Amino acid sequence: MNFLLYISEKTNPFQSIIVLSGAIFISSFFVISERRAVKRFLITLISISLILAFYLNIYSFISIGSFSNFLLSFENLQMIEVSIIIFSALNLLFFISMYGIDNSHFIKILSLFLFSTICAIFLAIARNFLLIFVTLVIFILVIFQLITALNLKIDRIRPYIMGYFLRPILTAILFFFGFSLFYGATDFKDFSQILQSEYISNPLIALGLIIFGVAVYLYFFLFPFQGPYMKLVKRNELSSNAVIWFSYFPVGIFMLMKLDGLYSFFIEKNNLYASIFLIIAFICILAGSIGAFKTNSIRRIISFLFLFFIGIFILNISMFSAGIITRLSMAWFNIANTLLMMFSFIPIYSIFSSIEKSTDSDSISNIRGFGRSNIYMGINLTVIFLSWLGFAYHIGPFIKYFSGTNFLEIGVINVILLLVIAIAFIFLLINAFRIIIQFFKKPLTGVVEKIVFPRFLYIYVTFFTLVILIAAIWGLLEILNVDIGIMNFKITELSF
Amino acid sequence: MGVFGIFYSRDIISVFISYQFIIISAVINFLNFSQFLYQSSLWDKIFIIFGITSLYFLMFCIIYYIYLKLDILDKEALYRDFKLFKITRSDWWGEDNI
Repeated sequence: MNFLLYISEKTNPFQSIIVLSGAIFISSFFVISERRAVKRFLITLISISLILAFYLNIYSFISIGSFSNFLLSFENLQMIEVSIIIFSALNLLFFISMYGIDNSHFIKILSLFLFSTICAIFLAIARNFLLIFVTLVIFILVIFQLITALNLKIDRIRPYIMGYFLRPILTAILFFFGFSLFYGATDFKDFSQILQSEYISNPLIALGLIIFGVAVYLYFFLFPFQGPYMKLVKRNELSSNAVIWFSYFPVGIFMLMKLDGLYSFFIEKNNLYASIFLIIAFICILAGSIGAFKTNSIRRIISFLFLFFIGIFILNISMFSAGIITRLSMAWFNIANTLLMMFSFIPIYSIFSSIEKSTDSDSISNIRGFGRSNIYMGINLTVIFLSWLGFAYHIGPFIKYFSGTNFLEIGVINVILLLVIAIAFIFLLINAFRIIIQFFKKPLTGVVEKIVFPRFLYIYVTFFTLVILIAAIWGLLEILNVDIGIMNFKITELSF
Repeated sequence: MGVFGIFYSRDIISVFISYQFIIISAVINFLNFSQFLYQSSLWDKIFIIFGITSLYFLMFCIIYYIYLKLDILDKEALYRDFKLFKITRSDWWGEDNI
C-alpha cells in the first residue's frame, strides 16, 4: 500500500496522462485491425481509461494536493480544467464511436483522439511559455489530423479543412512572435510571474498581449473572420463537428484563461483597452445571436451560439476589469460558462445529429413536431434549452454593483456593459425559444413521424437533464437560503 | 511584411511565405534580446528549436495535405484566387448553400 502511495505521489499531476498513454499503447497493437469486435473492445478500454483518468485526476488532487514546478502548475483551476477536458473527451468518444465505427481507420482515429486529449491536458496544466507553446501547436496539429481522418471519404470538404487550419497556424505563429516580445521585456517564463513583477508596465508586454489577443481572436474565428469555420462546420462529418466544438474550443478558452490576468491589468489601466474589449464582446455577442437567429440550418445555429458564448468569456474579462466582479468570480464565471456550454450542447448535438443522420438534412424544419412524436426527448431537450436561463447569473453582480448608485454616476462604459448583457440575454432566449417552439409545432404534413433513437441515447440525454436539474434546484435553494442539510458545500460560493 | 503579405496575397504560396516572415522576425527578436539583454542565455535557443520544429511540422502537414489530397481544380484555385481573410455575406447572414 505504501508503495502504491509512493508511486501515486511521484506521478501526481500525470496520473491521468499515464492512464491515457497506456490506452494509446494498447490500441497501437490493433491499428491495422478492421474487426468490429476489436473496435468494440477498444472503445470499452478507452472509455474505462478515460473514466479512470477522470477519477485519478480528482483523487490525486484531493489526496496529494496541488503541484507546481517550473514547467507545470496543477492547482484547483487546473484540476477542474483537466476534468472538463476528460469529460468532453468521454463524450467525444461517444460521438466518434456512433458515427465513425464503420470507418476503416477507426482505431487510428481513436489513437489520434487520445493523443489530442493528452495534448489538451498538458496545455491546461502547462505554466512555462515553452510548454504552453509546444503543446498548443501539437494540439492544433493533432486536431487537424483527426478531422482529416474523420473526413477521409468526403472529397468536397478538403479545401475547407485546409482553409480552416490555415488560421490556427497563424495563431501559433503569432503566439511565437508574442512570446519573443515577452522575452524581450523580461526573462520570466511564466504569466503569473510577469503579472507580479515590476516589468508588467513594459510596452513590449502590452504589444505582446495585443498580438496574443489577435491570435486568440483568429483561433476562435470570431466575427467577422468566421467564414472558414462556418463553411467547415456546414460540410463536416458529424463527429468532427463535435471535435471542433467540444475539444478545440474549450482548449482555446483555457488558453484565454491563462492570459486573462494580464489583460485585466492593462484594461484597468487604460480606458482605450477597455473600450476595445467591450466593442469586441459586443460585436461577438450580437453577431453570434443574430446570425443564429437568421439561419435555418441547425449546424449553423449551434456554430453561431458557440461564437456567442466565446463573446461571453470576453465580456467576463471586461466585467472584472470594470470592477463589477472579482478575479475569483471571473474564474468561476468562466468555468461555469464552459460547463454550461458542455452540458447543454453535448446532449443537444447528440439528438440533432441523430435526426440529421436519419433525415439527411440539417434544416430546422426537421425538428418541427419532434416534441409531439418523441415526448420524452422533447421534454428533456426543453429542460436543457431552459438551462440557458442559468446564464442570468451574470445579472446578479450588475444589480449588486449598481444598487444604491445614481444612474448618471454609473459611467458610459458600465452602461454599455449593461446594455450588452441585456441584449445578449434577450437574444439567447429568443434563440432557445425559437427551437422549443419548433419542437411543439404541428408538422407541415400533419403526420407525426416518430424518430427511433438507440436506447443508450435516452440514458445519455437523461443523465445530462438530471445533472442540469440537480444543479438548478441546488443553486435555487442556495439563492433562497434554504438549507436542506444534505451536504456542507455551496455551489454558488466555490472559489479557486 | 508578413502581415501585409497575409492580407494582400492572392495565392497560397505567398501566404506561407508571409508566415515565414513572421517566424523569422520572431527568431530575430529572440536572438537579439538574448544577445543584448540576457548575456546570450540558453533559453531562447531552446525556445527557437522547439518552436520552429513544431511550427514547421504543422505547416508541413498542411502543405503535404494540399499536395496529396486536393483536386487539380482546387489546387488551381489556391494558386490563382485565394484569400485568407475572404468575407462573404453567407458567413453570418442567411444560409450557406452547398
